[in-house]
This record gives sequence, structure tokens and C-alpha cells, in this order.
Amino acid sequence: MRHYVIAGVLVVVVAIATYAGLMAVKLMPVEASAQSIPIDQLWNVEIAIICFLFALIMVPLIYSLIVFRRKKGDTSDGEHIEGNNALEITWTVIPLITVLVLAYMGTYTLGEVMAVDPNALVINVTARQWSWEFDYPEGFTSTELHLPVNRQVVLDMQSTDVIHSFFVPQFRMKQDILPGRITTYRVTPNLIGTYQVECAQLCGLKHSYMTAPVIVSSQADYDSWIQTQVAAAAVAAQTPLGRGQQLVAKYGCTGCHSVDGSSTGIAPTWKGLYQSQVKLNNGTTVTADEAYLTESIVNPSAKIVNGFQDNVMPKTFGTTLSQSQISDIITYIESLK
Amino acid sequence: MEHTNKSDVLLQGVIVFVFLAALTALEFFVAIAVGSVVLLAMIAFVKVGLVLYYYMHIYRLNAQDDTLDRHSYQYKLTTSRIGLWLFLLSDAFIFGGLFVSRFNLLGLTALPLSSDSQYIALTITSVLLLSSFFMNRAEVSMEHSDRKGFIFGISITIALGLIFLAGVIFVEWPSAISIGVTPSSNAAGAIFFIMTGMHAFHVLTGVIFLSIVLRNGLRGLYSPEKHWAVESATTYWHFVDVVWLFFYPALYLIGKLVS
Amino acid sequence: MKKFFTSALIRGLLWQLIGWIAGALFLTGIRVLMGLNPFVTSQYFFTEPAWVFGGLVGALSYVASTGAMTDWFKWAKGEEVPEHREDPPGWEKYLNVSLDHKVIGVQYTVTALFLLCVGGLFALIFRTELAHSGLQFLTLQEYNTFMSLHGIVMIVGILLGVAGLMNYLAPMLIGAQDMAFPRLNAFSYWVAPPAAILLLSTLVFGGFDTGWTGYPPLSERAPLGMQMFFLGVAVAGWASILGGLNLIATVLRMRSKGMTAFKMPIFIWAAIATSLISATATQLIGLSFQMVMFQRLFGMGFFDSDKGGNPILFQHLFWFYSHPAVYVFVLPGLGIISELVPVFVRKPLFGYRFVAMSSLGIALVGFLVWAHHMFVSGMNPYLRIPFMFSTLLVAVPTGVKFFSWIATIWKGKIEMPSPMLFVLGGIVVFLLGGLSGPPNATVATDLHLQNTYWIVGHFHDTMFGGYIFPFFAAIYYWFPKVTGRKMNDTLGKWHFWLMTPSFLVLTLLMMRVGLLGMRRRVADYDPALGFDTYHLIMTIAAYIIAVSVLIFLYNLIVSIKHGESATGNVWNSRSPEWQVPSPMPVHNYDRPFEVIGEPYDYGLPGSVYVRFEDKKSKGH
Repeated sequence: MRHYVIAGVLVVVVAIATYAGLMAVKLMPVEASAQSIPIDQLWNVEIAIICFLFALIMVPLIYSLIVFRRKKGDTSDGEHIEGNNALEITWTVIPLITVLVLAYMGTYTLGEVMAVDPNALVINVTARQWSWEFDYPEGFTSTELHLPVNRQVVLDMQSTDVIHSFFVPQFRMKQDILPGRITTYRVTPNLIGTYQVECAQLCGLKHSYMTAPVIVSSQADYDSWIQTQVAAAAVAAQTPLGRGQQLVAKYGCTGCHSVDGSSTGIAPTWKGLYQSQVKLNNGTTVTADEAYLTESIVNPSAKIVNGFQDNVMPKTFGTTLSQSQISDIITYIESLK
Repeated sequence: MEHTNKSDVLLQGVIVFVFLAALTALEFFVAIAVGSVVLLAMIAFVKVGLVLYYYMHIYRLNAQDDTLDRHSYQYKLTTSRIGLWLFLLSDAFIFGGLFVSRFNLLGLTALPLSSDSQYIALTITSVLLLSSFFMNRAEVSMEHSDRKGFIFGISITIALGLIFLAGVIFVEWPSAISIGVTPSSNAAGAIFFIMTGMHAFHVLTGVIFLSIVLRNGLRGLYSPEKHWAVESATTYWHFVDVVWLFFYPALYLIGKLVS
Repeated sequence: MKKFFTSALIRGLLWQLIGWIAGALFLTGIRVLMGLNPFVTSQYFFTEPAWVFGGLVGALSYVASTGAMTDWFKWAKGEEVPEHREDPPGWEKYLNVSLDHKVIGVQYTVTALFLLCVGGLFALIFRTELAHSGLQFLTLQEYNTFMSLHGIVMIVGILLGVAGLMNYLAPMLIGAQDMAFPRLNAFSYWVAPPAAILLLSTLVFGGFDTGWTGYPPLSERAPLGMQMFFLGVAVAGWASILGGLNLIATVLRMRSKGMTAFKMPIFIWAAIATSLISATATQLIGLSFQMVMFQRLFGMGFFDSDKGGNPILFQHLFWFYSHPAVYVFVLPGLGIISELVPVFVRKPLFGYRFVAMSSLGIALVGFLVWAHHMFVSGMNPYLRIPFMFSTLLVAVPTGVKFFSWIATIWKGKIEMPSPMLFVLGGIVVFLLGGLSGPPNATVATDLHLQNTYWIVGHFHDTMFGGYIFPFFAAIYYWFPKVTGRKMNDTLGKWHFWLMTPSFLVLTLLMMRVGLLGMRRRVADYDPALGFDTYHLIMTIAAYIIAVSVLIFLYNLIVSIKHGESATGNVWNSRSPEWQVPSPMPVHNYDRPFEVIGEPYDYGLPGSVYVRFEDKKSKGH
């Protein structure tokens, strides 16, 4: 009998100690969204259950290994206990009830997380190998996601190529992004700060580096950022160089083509490219003039630069970009001497 | 060996076939005039039940033979039957996955096939059902020492199987391609070709299996007491037919056929 | 030496290569006839369809060349074939086709250990890269390939290890002389080496960068190595399917007299539950991979949204197998735990019937949970709720097992030689794996946890605790049955005490960085996250685990010839295989036995499980 009492007390002690220990360590990142609050509450309940179950199994186990270890010279068998139906039913029914309660709590929490604010701010997100594009309703594109604090934002997301995923740990949520359809991510940031969106679905070579800044600021700061962006876009739209620069940022070209001469191993650098001599993988050499650069954008498989692979550059720019947009991009490439 | 009257069993096979044919006609009528997926499903299940019981003898799995000598032919025969049915169960999962894919990709809409396709499909479906009829006759003949009946039945089955294959590959597929339904055209084309293709592959392997059994049967290797190769080839053949009993309505009879 | 190089294992390699090239040439010929380009000189010379077709032909050539299919060809030709074959004495039988389930079981187990070591080596390579932020010596493509290969090689290694346990043990435990279909059994094994070759060949075909899950659209545009991965998995899958089928037929039909359902050894229940899954669900991973292969080869747009396809369909088909697959991995391991605990605590398995039913319960419910891998995939958001319920439900039968083990151990007379240490380690590690499950099951928390290192920690704990630890336990335990000698117990303790704390540290740190937001499948991570120290510790832990495995391998190999002699019932087990001498006689039981008692009636004086008859067995 005393074994049960000692073990029982130890179970409670270990459960509490484990729980206290885990709560003392900062297990999760800071909570930066309204949705993170119910999620973390559910998480804490689950940690408590985990600590209890951990103790419930580990304590009798370790206790037994010490107390019921076969003593030297004892060759007898253990007690012939085959089972106990009442106990079996108990430890089937109680866990069953527990998981059903937990499932209900999970349903409730999910409902809270998915709550829709009809006045949510809508921002379009395009994910591509390996960069993020944020299109604001004011008509400009940004490579950084700026959000106003305490306002629900719904991101309408789509991919141009493979499956990506939008994840901000501090928001506690992620959502996969698919080609050919829109998936949505609804968040109400509630803590001003700078975070990072990371792609959370393996999307190829540079998956590790597919990140972008997420800046949550006050409504006033957000509004002034919007105004700055709109103005900058208007200025840039007036020159080929400005437009080219905007297009390059929007389409994430520098994810693979560096502008400073450094080697990415994925695509040729643009620094000094314009009108240079380029060696192809079939041994010939060509000049990187307008015609060559246009072809490289519209039909990338036509000529492959020596040392690089076919089937990496997206082949859709011929349909996505107009002739003048391509020309603007080439103007930008030309400027990188 | 069966302690039954051969003509009784053959007659049973005929009656089952008549039911199958009638249900197929009913199915076609339901697709054309009523358009109810639920009814189509029910008819398919009835047809499959008939084949599973009367042609594939699924009840033989319940052998109640604990008292037999484990090393006896009869005991091992039932073990082999269990192995074969487990294999068919496993294979069914592939077709199940394809079946589910059809509905995930295309919902309950019809495939963009022509009315020519409808008649070709009805024809080849009838050919396959008829082949099951002759397969059953062949097996019954073997069980009742009718060598000629066995040879005849299995040869017709093989011939009908080849006709089915020719119908799919040389008539139905070109017909689909001619109206733009190709493997690479879109999801509907892809589903059409993979479902008919995987099924046709199994018909082909069935034909090969039956040809081997025919050859060995001609050399007198089988008897009413020992003809597991015949029984297993027969069961496999009927299984391939059962798959078609689901695939045919899924590909051809669902969707806006109602005029 | 000559016997080694002319063995089926080695001969097959040559034939696989010949078949590969011959198949590629054949397909190329067809391309020429169709007016398509025959070669791609700048890449791998043959076109992708040629390499794929060749790969399939090569795998079949390997198997055919071993002779594993010869008897079937003879039957097709109408020739008689002797029912039984005697293996030559000595080690050559392990390198050639044998119909003896014990030889096949060892073949599976050794192949599994080989693949587990290869997979572990891949892990060491990329864990070394991960020890510090920034890319040190791997390219991004190399990292993705090693990481992806680690996953699938370990999975196939576990599947083969499962087959090894079930094939070696099942006939022995039920009193049969062999499996129901010995030739099918041999064939099932011999598809494994060519499948492994196909998987490893990805390294020379440009690798693949999708992880073992192979999701399209990424897998559609991955290098040629992707196809070799798909093909390798498909071929390996045949072993799983056919092995499962064989096991079910064997257990249904070949049990000894008196061995009713609830008098079978508990491992047999685990084996049945496992086989029900592996014989059926495996087809779905084959199908899903086949569909991507066809998408690449023929442009069939199943998962291509431009063509009206649906990438999420792939995930449904894939996970419909790949979730039950994890129960294929752990049910046998948990069965080993249930089987061995009574022996080492000398007490009946508590609630045997409930434990037996729990294996079936896990297998059944396990079919209903797959979409919990897809909670953030873009699937119908409301469909996630039923899957959350079903996923949490699996915890109930799993809990029954844990409680039963604890109740068995409680008040027993406990001894802890190496097998028992690994059983206990399995219980503890699997406990952590299981406890880290419910937060993934509740959708709201999974939104944070999915695709992070938390998940990586969760599944490493479940896989190691549920399979790898019990696998080691089983090898230490049944080694005398195979060889007539014991493995060294001191080295076993070194193995255990180096591996277990390291593994716990490794997986707990994985969970820690995962909670803090570290994504999985990344070659590099931002130093600003502050994870460098954790990763360094994880890498060191990985190396310690590797050292412990080396100690195990040394112990295994040396003990074959120099282990302490152990020809009797070394563990004093009630199980039938220990009532006959070790090594196990060729025909298992030369006298049949009848089951006259319960399997785990330790502590009941005078009780006996099986009684051997006086007359000799029939047959041969």
C-alpha cells in the first residue's frame, strides 16, 4: 500500500515541478498578435496535461526500477497479476474524456483564431522562389510587409510556382501558399515591433533564405509609410530606370541575380553584365546586348550561361511582362556597371 | 471438385450474366434519363456483389477447416485463396485512390467525352462482362472434368479480353484524343487516361496470366481436384471486371448526360 | 571471397546495371521511332523517360537474376518444383535466395541496419553543416538532397527492419515451420537491395530537393534524382505490401494447436495490426508517386493548377498512406516492448487482451487521421475539425499500452540486461514522442508548430522510441536464437548509456528551437535567432549517438564468433522458441507443440505455455 502512496505523492510533485520548470523557461516567442493569446492559452493547458502524464508514467516506472529491482539471490517470479478490468476501463474512459474535452477546446480556440473582422485591411501577397511581394490597396508594391497595430489584416496569398508558406512565429500562425488559387491569412498584430516572415514549406534551393521584414507600427507611422511609398512609386514610374528598379524588386530577381558582382551559384550576376562578353555552355561566346537580355528573360532555355543550369529561371516572364517593362528592367541592368 | 451438377452451375452462371446485362442496361438508362449518382452507385454495388459471390466465390474463404491436416492440399488451397484475396484487397486500394482522385479533381461533372465514347464504352463494357461469363464457364467446366468446355471458355475469355484492350487503346483513346482529351490536356484528360490505362494494364496482365493457364491446361496439367492456377487466374480476371464496374460509371455515366 | 562476389546480392548489382542500360536503350529506341530526341548530351545522356524505364527494368533484372522468381517461371512453364529447399551451411545462404524465414529475417535485418547507418551518415553530414549558422561546406542542393535522403533512407530502413522482425519471429512464435508463402517471402526481400540502389542513385542524378514527402509542384520541377526517389520508394513498397499479406495469411492459417486468438504471443497481434496497414495503405504512396512521375513524363496535370489539377490532392493521397505508415513503424516496436517486459519483470503482461485490442485500435483509427499533416495546406478549413478529433483519439489506445507496461513492471522482479534497457529506453523516448503529439493535433496550436523543429523532435522521439530502441532490444534479445551466442552485455550498456541521454538532448533541443520559430528543412538559419549553441549541442549529440551505434555494430559482429555461448533458454522465457536449442533448428520445431496455458503466466507455479508432442513433425 505504501508503494502506491509514495508513488502517488511523487507523481503530483514531479508533475508540478515539471510544469513549473517549463513555465519558467520562455518556451514561446513574444505574443505579437491577438490570435496568439488563445493559442498560447491552449498551449499552456496542453503543457499542464503533458506534465501530468509525463509524471504519471515516469514516476511509477523509475520507482519500480529502483524499488522492485530483483534482489541478489532472489530467483522467484513476480506476483501473478493478469489484469484488472475496472482499471482498464478507467484508463480508457478518462483519457477518452480528456481528449474529447481537449478537442472541444481546440475547436473553440480555432474559432477564436479564425474570427473575421469585416473591416479588415486587405493586402495581396505573392510568393515565388525565393522572395515575397506585398501589393497594397493604394496601388504600390513593397518587399517589406508593414502593418498597422491593432487592426485585423487579411492577406490574400498566391504563389507563382511551388507551394510556399507564410509564417511569423510571433503571430503563432502559418498558412501554405498555393499556385492557381488564393489562400488567406488573417492576423491582428497587437505589438509594435519588427518581425520576420519566413517561408515554412520547403520550396527549393533558397528556402532557408526566403524571408522578409514584417514591421508593425502605430497607425500614424503606418499611414506616413503608405504616403511615402505612394510618392516613391509615383516618382519611380516616371523614368525607365525607376520603373525597372521597381519591377526588379517586385519580381524578386535579386533573389538569384546579385547586383554587386558576388556569386550566388544560381544565376549570373548583373553587375557589369550589360554589353559584356558571355560564355555559353555550348562553348560559344555572345554579347549581352538588348536582344540577348530580352531573350534571356522571355525564353531562358534558349541560351544557358556556362556554369549554370537550365530550368531554374521562371519561364513565364514572357507573358507576365510587357515589352516596355522588359526594356525598363534592361535599363536597370545597364545601370549596374 | 464440386459435388454439384455441372449444368446446374452453368445455368447459375447464365442467370447471373443475364442479371448483369440487365443491370448494365438499367445503368445506362439511369445515366441518360435520370442522372442520379446514388442510383448508379447502388446498381454498381449490386453488380459487384453478384460477381463477388457467384463468379469469384468469396464465400470459399470461410473454409472451417481447422481439423484438416495442415500439410494437405485442401488446407493449403484455402491458405492460397486467402493470400490471393489479400492481394486483390491491396490492389483495390490503387483503384480506390484513382477513383477518389476523379471526384476530387472533377467533382460530379461529366468528363468532356463525345457521345461516340459513350457507345464505345458501353460496347467494351459488355465485352468485358461477357468475358467474365465465359471465364465462369471455363472454371465450372474445369471443376466438372469438362476439358473441352474449359479450353473453349478460357480461349473465348482471352479473345474477349484482347478485344477489350483493342477497344480501349485503338478505338476509345484515339476518339478522346481527336476531341482534345489527351493525357496532357488538362486534369480531366489526365484522369481519363490514368484510370483507363491502369485498368487496361491489369487486363493485359490478366490476359497474359490466362494465356499461361490455357497453355498449361492444354498440356493437361489441371484436374478437377487440383487447378489452383485456373481458380486464381479466374478470380483475378473477375476482379479486373469488378474494377471496371466502378470505373465505367465513374468515367462515363456521371454528370450531365441527362438531356 | 569468390562466394561473395558470385552471390545473388552482388550478382544482382551487375544485372541491375545491365537492365538499367538495356531498358534505357530500349526506351530511347522507341523515342527515335516516335521522332523524339534520343539523348540529352548536356545532362545525363539518356532522357528522363529512358532513365526511369531503365530504372524499373534494372530493379526487376536484379530480382530476377537472384533466382527469387525462378520457381514461379517454372510453374508458369508447367514444371514441377520441389516444395522445400535446403540451404547450404555457412554464411553464403544469407547472400543468396533462401526460402527459410529465419534467413530472410536476418537478410532484412542486416539490410535494415545498413540503410539505417547510411541514413545516419547523411544526418551526420548535414548536422555538421547545421552546427553553425552560415553555410560552411555543403551547397544548398547538397543539403536538400542529404536531408531528403536521410528521411527516406531511414524510413525504408525501418520498413525493412519491421519486415525482419516479423519474418524472423512470427512463424517461430506461432509454432509454424515457415511463412505461408516462402517464395513470396524471398521475393519480397530481394526487391529491397535494388530499391536501395535506386534511392542512393539520386545522388548521381542531381539529387532531389523536396524532402521525402515529394510534394508537387516542387517535385515536378526537381532534378532527375526525383524520379529515382519515386521509383525506389515504389519498389521498396512491394516488399511492405507482399510481406504484410504473407504475415496475415501465416497467422490466420498456421498457428499451433490450441493457439487461439488470445493465447498468441502479443507480438503477433502487433504484427497483424501492422500487416493490415502495410498490405493496403502502401499502395497509396505508390499511386501518388506514380501520378507525379506521369506528370513529369507525360504532362498529366493531376497536381498542376494550370491544367485544373489540385496540389492538395497529392497531399491527401500521400498522407493517406504516410500517416498509417508511422503505425507500421511503431506497432511492431511497441509489440516488442509488450513481448519483452514480462520476461524481464517475471510478471504477466497486464491486461493482455486490452493490449492486443489496442494494436488493432491504433491501426484502425490510424487510417482516419491523415489530414492532420495538412492543417495549414489550404484544405477545407472546417474539415480540420474531425481530423483533430480522430487524431486525439489515437492517444487512447496508445495510453492503454503505456498504462499496461507500467502496471506490468510495477511490483515485478526487475532485471535489466541490455534488451531490457532498450525496452525501457523505448518506453521513455516514445512517451516524449507521444506527449508532444496533442499540441500538433489541436489545429490552433499546430498553426504555430507545423513545419518547425518541434515536429522534427516529435517524430524523431516517436520513431526512435517506437521502433529503433525496440529494434535494438530485439536484436540483443534474439541474437542467441540466431547465432547460439550472446552479445556482450557491457558493450550493450555502453551503447545504451551513450545513445539515450544524447538522443533525449537532441530531440528536446529540436523541440525547443522549433517552439521559438526555427523552421524545418532549412540548410541555414539566421545567427540573430540565437540558435547556434543549441545546434552545436545537437550536432555533438548526433556524433555521440553515432559512436554508440559503432559500439553496437562492433558488438554485433564480434559476438557472432566470439560471443558467450548461449544455446539454451538464456532469458528463461516461456515463449516456444526458447524451449528448443539455439541456434534455432532449421525446421524450427521437429516436434509440434500444443498451447496449454497462457503466454505470460509468470508467477503462476507449475504453469506452462506450450507442451511439445512426442511424435515428430510431419513434412520434409
